Amino acid sequence: MSAAAFKLCMLGDFGVGKTSLVSRFVHSTFSEKYLTTVGVKVDSKKVDLPGRAPCKLVLWDIAGRSHLDALNMTYLRGASALLLVADGTRERSLHTALNLLMQARTLLPEVVAVLAINKLDLVEQWEVAPAALEELRRTLSVHETSARSGEGVEAAFADIATRLAA
Amino acid sequence: MSAPDFPSVPPRVETYLRGVFWQRVRALLLTFDGGWHLRDMRGDAAYYGLEGADAGKSVQALCDLFVGMPLHEPQDVPFVEMVNGLSAHVHLIPDDNAFHVLLLDAAVERERQRVQQQLGNEEALASQAKSKAIGQLKQIRSELERQHARLEEAHALKNALIATLSHEFRTPLTSIFGYLQLIDRRAGDEPQMREALHALRRNATYLFTLAENLLEYGRGETAVPLLNPTPVDIEALVSDLDAMFRPLAEEKGLDFRVTLKLEDAAQPVFDEIRLRQILVNLLSNAVRYTRRGEITAEVVWRAQTLAVDITDTGIGIAAAHRDTVFVPFNRGGHAGSKGAGLGLSIVKRMIEHMHGTLAFESEVGRGSSFRVALPRAKERAAAHADDAIAPRFWLQGRSILVADDDPDVAHLLEGLLGDLGFRVRVVNDAQSAVLEAMAGRPDVLLIDVELSGLSGNAAVYKLRSRGYKGRIVTLSATATTEAREAALRAGADHYLTKPLNVEQFVHVMQQAASTGWEGVSDASNDA
Repeated sequence: MSAAAFKLCMLGDFGVGKTSLVSRFVHSTFSEKYLTTVGVKVDSKKVDLPGRAPCKLVLWDIAGRSHLDALNMTYLRGASALLLVADGTRERSLHTALNLLMQARTLLPEVVAVLAINKLDLVEQWEVAPAALEELRRTLSVHETSARSGEGVEAAFADIATRLAA
Repeated sequence: MSAPDFPSVPPRVETYLRGVFWQRVRALLLTFDGGWHLRDMRGDAAYYGLEGADAGKSVQALCDLFVGMPLHEPQDVPFVEMVNGLSAHVHLIPDDNAFHVLLLDAAVERERQRVQQQLGNEEALASQAKSKAIGQLKQIRSELERQHARLEEAHALKNALIATLSHEFRTPLTSIFGYLQLIDRRAGDEPQMREALHALRRNATYLFTLAENLLEYGRGETAVPLLNPTPVDIEALVSDLDAMFRPLAEEKGLDFRVTLKLEDAAQPVFDEIRLRQILVNLLSNAVRYTRRGEITAEVVWRAQTLAVDITDTGIGIAAAHRDTVFVPFNRGGHAGSKGAGLGLSIVKRMIEHMHGTLAFESEVGRGSSFRVALPRAKERAAAHADDAIAPRFWLQGRSILVADDDPDVAHLLEGLLGDLGFRVRVVNDAQSAVLEAMAGRPDVLLIDVELSGLSGNAAVYKLRSRGYKGRIVTLSATATTEAREAALRAGADHYLTKPLNVEQFVHVMQQAASTGWEGVSDASNDA
């Protein structure tokens, strides 16, 4: 195993697009069909960082949950980073993502966390107000993403990789 | 992990149990050395997709599972999706300088959970969508109750098609009107040139009226058009109508007379585009439905009211069709004739919105007479006397970033804004607009909503969510309340529609530039 490999867990409510983000990032694909994730699917991708050695992100796509149960806690063991995912068209999913972060930090106090507000292609239907993200940005790195168009996806993962490599 | 006590059983039972166990768990054991090199593999590797050309990659993916985990103690990762889509419980068992990785089949259990979970999640998503939909349905329920569901659906589809068509007209018309304005400002006093410009504008207006007819219908019957009352030069308007319709009438051998009486010294104030739309539609019908004889238009400005009588000797409208003549796509009154049958419905709706009256008399074979009376509108409070004096003075040195991917429109905006005194920078995509706006902090960002790739609304949202406080004006070819609200919700301060109303454009630009970075966001209706 390479020393530059990092475990990254995708966390968020169901249907926010965690699997789609991984699929867009790793395979450059997108499917309109919603298929729930059961358990975990692990993928990996090498990320090139300017001026640094590349690192490998091992992505744990975990089934969507509104809270972390014992099984999810099992999956989080050894994670170096979290990509919290919310759906811009469902404000409640943002609260869920933040709750999940708080719960995850009890197990992983030093974990790198980045927030992705997904479905930017549906921005006209967003319930999450710009001001809410402006406020969040004071304490958390936030990216608007669209797994469908690819907008912001590379940037969100590159942000995590940069923070991990720092 | 210690094995539970198990009572001693006869050897035959034990053999049977062992068979059942191995068959059910489909165990696969992989043994790695301390450097995670595979040393041994026992069991049904093919079942888990760990055989064949990609076996090495798949085994590597298994090893990746334990990145970051403490390797000196056993680990248990339930329900891991394998490369072939099956699911396994994966166990790590450290053994001196080696690791055993044990896979136990979880496919059946996972599938059962997946079906259950999918149903639950879909139900929850549907329930959320339902709550949203109920909110929206409440708003339109009163309208929906009046109409049959299938007819309503067809109606909505038709409207969407028309609105889209009209929307497609707006972008090129923005260029035409804008460039005419630009040329007009820069052209000299050479009479032929001025006449040519006048003719161009007149005909572009006619084209715009036709497109607006469609849009007006596409808006739906309950939507209220936004009126923009300004002082109107009635003489110029009448002269335009004469120039527009006289050649058409004379081509058919008809007499055409337009008269004007100005009996009130007060300046007439109307939404000029709507006023032209009304008169163009009525005259257009008169010319279309008259085969011989004459058409007369009498325009009188008296006692704060504009009265227009348009009379023709055309085919007329039968009494039976008096009630349906104002229904869209209904040409009952003019059977056998061409045309979309939109004009009169638009005219009626426009006049009602302008608080006027419309009356008509008609006799089959003898002709029709339409009488319009429109009260003077209240001029918008912000007529901006200061703007009219010296816009350049106000805006000199202010900076603006323009984002539009249509090179004609971008060039036009650059010219218009340059004339207003702005320092203009143009980009042609939303991503560049976000980067440049954050870095350059222009006084105003003017951004097209319908940009290819990242939309203008998404760019505005991204800027606002990053704390961007500059003024933002969005420009769109979609003239609907919903589109405007979506843009304002995303964080725009002003919403303008194409084609540009130059006066309004100038006013909005001045307002945006004067508040600049100090002003507080105050979303307003501009279009």
